[in-house]
Formats: sequence, C-alpha cells, structure tokens
Amino acid sequence: MEKTLQVLNDLVRAGVVSRYAIGGAMGAMFYIEPVLTFDLDVFVVLPQTHGGLLTLEPLYEALRARGYREEDECVNIEGVPVQVLPAYNALLEEALAEAREMRYEATPTRVLRPEHLLAIALQTGRDKDRERVRLLREQARLDQKYLKGVLSRHRLDDK
Amino acid sequence: MKPMETLNREIAGLFAAKEARRRKLAKLPFPEKVRAVVRLQRMVAPVLRARGRQVRVWTIEESAPPGE
Repeated sequence: MEKTLQVLNDLVRAGVVSRYAIGGAMGAMFYIEPVLTFDLDVFVVLPQTHGGLLTLEPLYEALRARGYREEDECVNIEGVPVQVLPAYNALLEEALAEAREMRYEATPTRVLRPEHLLAIALQTGRDKDRERVRLLREQARLDQKYLKGVLSRHRLDDK
Repeated sequence: MKPMETLNREIAGLFAAKEARRRKLAKLPFPEKVRAVVRLQRMVAPVLRARGRQVRVWTIEESAPPGE
C-alpha cells in the first residue's frame, strides 16, 4: 500500500490533484481496530480547469498514462483498488482542508480527522456508516469540542 | 452464589476481555492493520464469491512485522 500512496503523492506533485486524503474504512482504521474493506477511498480536491469545469477525467488519464487501469468504479493502483471521490459538499471540503498529515511506513500521506470521518458517516447514514460511527465513538480519541463544531456547522447535531 | 449469577459474571468478564482486545487492536500501527485487512480479505473472499459477489483481494507487498 505504500507504493499506492507514493503514486497519489506523485499526482499531487504533478498538479493532477490539488490535495488528497484517505477516508472511508481505511481512513477510519488509522484510529480504530482493523475492519474488512476491499477499497481505498480517497477524497480529492481537483484543480479547476480553464472552463471552470471540475472533472475526474484528467486524473484517470494521468493514472492510465502511468499504467493503472480502471476496474469498475475503482482504479487499481499497485494492487489496491482505489476509489477516487471529489469533495462534493461543504463537509468534505472542510474535511480535506483539515486532514492530518500522517506517515505510512516512510511515506507521507494525508488522512481525514476522526471527527470528520464520524460526521461523514453520520451524513451518509447507511448501516455500515452507523457501525463506523459507533466504532469511532468507542475507539478513536475524539476532540469533543471540535466534533461539536463540525456537527453543528454541517447540521448533523440531531443525528 | 446462584449458578446464573456465576454465569452472568463469567459472560461479563468475557465481553470485557473482548472489548479490551478491540481497544488493543485499535492501537496497532497502521501497517499492521493493513496486513490484518488483507488477511481478512483472503478469509472472506471465497465466501463472498460463493454468494456471487465480485471482490478483489489486495495484491500488495508488505514488509513482515517484527518477529514474523
């Protein structure tokens, strides 16, 4: 997985994406026990094109040029199916802006804060998201004041 | 002490131990968690495939944890 993250870092250096951060189950796993997942969810901020369009196509093109192929909704990067998701709402934009710099072995990466992972799971609201909320509440070290602010800003405090 | 009380106490102890183990797992270094995920994927993939779900087990090279 270290090689996968190196490829993502390379995409940032090349300006293909402005910023990325790991989210989803793998993101949560930085703070909780290992759970079964088959994808690496990566949220990205895309650079704006001249026409003001935001599209994932340049990212897919850059990955194809590096020899990585799309498999259904993912791109297989060094043996890991990566699902790339653009920041599609205010909560994700904030989560990406405030993601934590971490290391995977020797490779730097960015991971969403546990408070944002919890808020995103609340917002998404599927059964597996509710389970993630429970695990984050039980096992992650959450900054309660910060979490309260996130939930309030994004109108999730009644969930 | 009644037999049921003894059993309840034992079960409470088992649940407490289970929770303690999960908290310990949560504190593992991230690369070790990734290795655990790949092991989980390998275990679960045949069951899911038998149910008709297409899953891909990660083919990553990971350095072995200390002591393995």
